[in-house]
Amino acid sequence: MATNIAVENVRKVYQTGKDEVEAVSNVSFTAEEGEFVAILGPSGCGKSTLLMMCAGLETITSGRIIMDGQPVTEPRAHVGIMFQDSTLLPWKTVMENILFPVKVQKRPMAEHKERARELIHMVGLSGFEEKKPHQLSGGMRQRVAICRALVTDPDILLMDEPFSALDAMTRDEMNDALLDIWDRYRKTGLFVTHSIREAVYLADRVLVMTRRPATVVEDLRIPFGRPRDRSIGEKAEFNEICAYLRNLIEKREDSPRRQARAA
Amino acid sequence: MSTLPQDRREHILTLALPVLLGVAVLGVWQVVTQAFSISPVLLPAPSDIVSSFDDIAGTLARNAWVTGSEALVAFFLSAILGVVAALVLTSSAVVFQAFYPHVVMFQIIPKIALAPLFVFWLGFDSPSRLSYSIFISFFPVALATMTGLNRADANALRLSRALTASRWQILFQVQVPYALPYFFSGLKIAATMSVIGIVVGEFISSKRGLGHYILYSQSHSETAHIFAAMVVLCIVGLIPYGIAIGGERLARKWWRG
Repeated sequence: MATNIAVENVRKVYQTGKDEVEAVSNVSFTAEEGEFVAILGPSGCGKSTLLMMCAGLETITSGRIIMDGQPVTEPRAHVGIMFQDSTLLPWKTVMENILFPVKVQKRPMAEHKERARELIHMVGLSGFEEKKPHQLSGGMRQRVAICRALVTDPDILLMDEPFSALDAMTRDEMNDALLDIWDRYRKTGLFVTHSIREAVYLADRVLVMTRRPATVVEDLRIPFGRPRDRSIGEKAEFNEICAYLRNLIEKREDSPRRQARAA
Repeated sequence: MSTLPQDRREHILTLALPVLLGVAVLGVWQVVTQAFSISPVLLPAPSDIVSSFDDIAGTLARNAWVTGSEALVAFFLSAILGVVAALVLTSSAVVFQAFYPHVVMFQIIPKIALAPLFVFWLGFDSPSRLSYSIFISFFPVALATMTGLNRADANALRLSRALTASRWQILFQVQVPYALPYFFSGLKIAATMSVIGIVVGEFISSKRGLGHYILYSQSHSETAHIFAAMVVLCIVGLIPYGIAIGGERLARKWWRG
């Protein structure tokens, strides 16, 4: 398999007045074609900034990111993206929102409409094509956002905590929906999350980021094949991996609870 | 009434209450002017105003056409100019920063005071009235549209950038739709300002129009005619306002479906 994403010694420094804040500190990793890589870490560890640099939405202070053999300097059309907010345009219908990238990138409308229909069916939104965002629940809106990210059939999917604003039950449903989509379309994916279980459940590999320094401290291969379903969450191995990751993050973060226990 | 459903009853009340209040005020006005024999030059009774329409209906209609058509032209031109100004001023951060404080300052100037200047510059005919009316009506449109263009959802802008949208695509497919509600709130103000602008212009520099007719009636102590002209002026003013409201409804329907 070919390497699809290569992040090489990437740093991001924000200048605020005279102070320099290092948001991302010397991160390197690769993702193979078709691999689902979760980037796990506490809030403020720079994981979203890292993803935004991959998307070409943030400048890279030093180092470089190679996608499909090309260094990233600006946003690229062959990348699908999802944010924490579904970011649907309120005046557009479900169908029009999904076709927004097609319109912007001036791709042939008719064949993409066919694909949009297939995706809508896949995520269980058939019959909602002509509804407007305010008529949908939060989970449904995020399903529309998944369809929009996939409609141009990108090689790479970048997801920035796409389900973190949803309630726990909806989140579980969305995780299952994403697994189904992965089995069917198999993209290269970067998935930012602060949920340990979500990362282990979805990903082939989990990268753990910490706050100080804001870098990757662990690169863990998840030993479960695909297709997966929720039953793996009950396996001892699954829970051992989660416990290991939690321990790793807490040790690094010196959480108040840990300090209290130590005292 | 008690058999009607709740919302239906409320609907009737929202219509009936203001109508009742209006009728009551007119009734008191009528009774007071008659009971105290108030001079019709000082305050004519509502019945005097109504009966004056018999004599001056034709004159009012002619003058209403003059004022109304000019106000409508000023209204449309100020809408277009306001939008163009907003698009130009928001096209670059530098331009915006340079102009925005001045636009806000201009908004504060009591612009009525500048009306005579327009006569000075453009003479006694409709160009000076039209320009003055446009001058006072286009600011609210420009200011509101500018605000709207800058209030587009930051997430939507980020998404568009990620999708490699061009600046024009972002402007017309994201910023402009987000600015529409703001534009219409400015347009509603422009609807009233455009009529005010024309009437003020007519006060100063015209031999026609309802503004001129009001001054003419005042000099002849025909107070009832002034009120009659006011009534017609209100009706004339409803036309641009109705257009603004209609446009706003269409836009909201497009937004919310």
